[in-house]
Amino acid sequence: MSALELITLVNQALFVGLFLVVLAHAVRRPSRATVDTALLFGSIAAAVAVSVGATAVGLSDAAPRTPIVLLLFNLAPYAMIRLVDDFSGTPRFMLHLGAVAYVVIAALGFAFTVQRELVQLAIIAWFLAVGGYAAFAFAWESRRTRGITRRRMRAVATGAVAFITAVVLLFLNGMFSMDGVILDIAAQLTALTAVVAFFVGFAPPEWVRRAWREPDLRRFLEQSTRLVSVADETAAMAELQRAAAAAAGADGASIGVADPRRGVLAYISRDGERVEYPDDQFIAGRAFQEQRRIVAIDATALDPANAARYEQSRARTVIAAPITRGDRRIGVLAVYADRAPIFVEDDLWLIELLADHTSILLEARDLARQTGLLEAREEAARLKEEFLSAAAHDLRTPLTVVLGQAELLERRTARNPAAPVDAAGVSRLTKEARRLRDLISEMLDAQRLEQGVTMDRRTTDLRSIVTTVLERHAEEMSAVAVHLPDEVLSATVDGPRMQQVIENLLDNARKYSPDTATEIRLWREGDEARIAVVDRGVGVPDAERERIFERFYRASNARDITDTGMGLGLYICRRIVEEHGGLIWAEPTPGGGTTFVVALAGSTPPASLPEQAEPAHWAPAGDGTEAVADA
Amino acid sequence: MPDVRVLIVDDEPDIRATVSAMLEIEGYRVDEAVNGADALRVLEDHAPDLILLDMRMPVLDGWGFARELRQRGHRTPIVVMTAARDAARWASEIAAAEFVAKPFGMDDLIRAVERARPAT
Ligand SMILES: [Mg+2]
Repeated sequence: MSALELITLVNQALFVGLFLVVLAHAVRRPSRATVDTALLFGSIAAAVAVSVGATAVGLSDAAPRTPIVLLLFNLAPYAMIRLVDDFSGTPRFMLHLGAVAYVVIAALGFAFTVQRELVQLAIIAWFLAVGGYAAFAFAWESRRTRGITRRRMRAVATGAVAFITAVVLLFLNGMFSMDGVILDIAAQLTALTAVVAFFVGFAPPEWVRRAWREPDLRRFLEQSTRLVSVADETAAMAELQRAAAAAAGADGASIGVADPRRGVLAYISRDGERVEYPDDQFIAGRAFQEQRRIVAIDATALDPANAARYEQSRARTVIAAPITRGDRRIGVLAVYADRAPIFVEDDLWLIELLADHTSILLEARDLARQTGLLEAREEAARLKEEFLSAAAHDLRTPLTVVLGQAELLERRTARNPAAPVDAAGVSRLTKEARRLRDLISEMLDAQRLEQGVTMDRRTTDLRSIVTTVLERHAEEMSAVAVHLPDEVLSATVDGPRMQQVIENLLDNARKYSPDTATEIRLWREGDEARIAVVDRGVGVPDAERERIFERFYRASNARDITDTGMGLGLYICRRIVEEHGGLIWAEPTPGGGTTFVVALAGSTPPASLPEQAEPAHWAPAGDGTEAVADA
Repeated sequence: MPDVRVLIVDDEPDIRATVSAMLEIEGYRVDEAVNGADALRVLEDHAPDLILLDMRMPVLDGWGFARELRQRGHRTPIVVMTAARDAARWASEIAAAEFVAKPFGMDDLIRAVERARPAT
C-alpha cells in the first residue's frame, strides 16, 4: 500500500467516523444545527462509502457510480450554507439559491462521462463559491463573538477553507492530469485538516471545550474577585455581566439581583442603566421562581409574551440559572445568544458554575457594603458624640463665668450692701451670657441650615459687608489687615448671612492662630468676587482640608489647641456659601497657616446705583487698597 | 485667714477673672497664667501653695504642665478644673489632689481648694 493510499484510507475512515459521532449527536439532541452537521459529514461519508463499495464490487469510473458519488458529495456545500445559517444567519434567498444550485450540479453529474471537463469546472465553481462564502461568513461571525464561540467560529472558517482547497486540488488533478501523487497527497492532507477543523468547530469534544474555556474561566474568576471591592454597584454588575458572557462565549449575560421585599429583580441594561422587573418576568424570572435551570433554545416560543423583547435584544436562546447560596435566593444569571448552536449541553454546568461563583461574589459585596454602612454609622455616632461633648463643654465654660459672677455679686452685697457694683464682673457676666446665647443659636442655625434655608439675596457691595463685620468686632479684630478694592465689587447675597460667614472665618483665624497676623482680602477674579481670610497659624493637615467643612468635624490639631468649638462654624459657612451657589475652600498659606477662600458669582451693578460701599475708617488715607485697623 | 498663694492656669480670660475674684473675696492671694508654659514662667518668680489647672490649653496643656512641674521637683498640690466629662480621670492621670468640674459654683471651688491646700 502506498503512502497516498494510506492517507486516503485514514481520511475516509475519519470522515465516516466523524459522521457516526455527529449522527449519534443529532439523534440524541435533534436540532437544525445537529442535523445539518450530520448532513455535512453524511454527504462526504456516503460519497466515500459508495465510491469504496463500488470499487469493491468492481464498478469503475462508469455510470452509475460517478453520478451517485457526485450527487452525495455535492450535498456538502449545501449543508455548509445551512450551517452558516444556523450559526451566524444568512439571508433566506441564499438558502434557496444553494438548493437550486445543488439540484443543477447534481443533475450535471449525470453528464459526467460526456462532458467531463465542464462538470468538473462546475463542481469546482460550486465548491469555491459556497465554501468561500461559508469561510467568510464564519470568519466574520468570529469577530463579533468571543470566548469559546469565537474559537469555534474560527475553526469552522479554517475547515471551510481547507475543505474547498482539498476539493479543488482533487478536481484540478483529475482535469489536468498533473503530477498526480503529490497533488493527491496534498489534497488528502488538506482534507484531513478540514475534517479536524470542522469537527472541533461544529462538535467540539469535551476536552477541547474545557481547554478552550480555561483561560476565559480563569479571567472570569480573577475579574469577579476584583469586583468585590468596586464601590459603584452599577459598574460592578455591568462588569460582572460582561465577564460572565465572555466566559460562557455568549453574546451577553444578565444578572438579576433579587429584592424579595419588593418582589423584583434588578438588572443592569446594556447601556449601563439599572432596570427592575417583577421577579417572575422573562425566562430569567421563571428560573428564579422555580429555582431551577432553564434552557430555552427558542426563547420566543417558551415565553411568547416577551417575544419582542428577546428579538430586540438578539436573545433568541437563553440559558438561565438561579443564583442561590444555601437557602438564600440571591438572584438569577441568564446568558443569551442570537443562535442556539453556540451552546451545547455541556455549557449547562458552566452556567451553573458561573451562577455559583456569582453568588459568592454578590454575598462578598453585600458583606463589604454592610461593613461600610456600619463604619459610616459608627463614624456618624462618633461625630455626634464628639459634638455633644464639645457642645456641653462650650456651654459649661460661659456658664461657669455666669454662675460664678452671679454668686460673687450676691456675696458682696450680702457682706456689704453699700459696696460699689463690681462693674468688670457684671460686664463679664453679660458677655458670657451673650456667648451662651450665641452658642445656642449657632447650634440651632446649623440645624436649620442642614435642612436648607432660603436666602434673602440682594445686590450688595461686598466691601460694605466686610467693613460692617470689622466695625462690629473692632476690639477683637484690631490686628486684622484689610485689603479692599477701590471699586465697588458687588454680588447678590444675603447680607447678614454673608457677614456671618466672614465673622466665622475671622473668629476661626483668631482662635487657631493667636498672636499672628490675620488678613482679609476682597478682590475680583474673572467673573467672580472672592473673599479670603488668611491666617498664619498652625494650618490644617492636608488630609483634613475638606473634612473641616463637615458638620461637627474639628481638625485634629484644632482639638489640641482648644476644646472650645463644636465643629459647626465652617459647616455653617459652607452651607451659606452653597446656598449662594458659591464655593468655599481652604488652602495652605505660603509660609504656614490657612487661607479660606469664598468665591461668589460677581455682578456689576448699574452705574446709577448709589454707592453702598463705605470703606470708612478702614480705608487708609493713602491708596485705598490696604488698611490696617488699629482700634 | 492663712496667707495662701494660688496660681490659676486657664486659657479663658473670663474664667481666670471670675475664679480670681472668687478666691480673692475669700482672702487668697492669686496669680494668673494663660497656659502651661506661661505658668512655668510665673512659678519661677514666686512659688504658689496651690495650682488651679485647666487641662485643655494651647501651647502647653495641663498634662504637659503637670509633668514638667513634677520634673522640676515641685510638690505643689493641683486642683484640676475642666469642663470635660473626664474631669476625675484626668485628675488622677496627673496625680492631682482635687478636681472641680465646670460649671462649678463658688462653694464647690472653695471646698476643693480648702481640701487640697497643704495644712498650715
Ligand atoms: Mg481651656
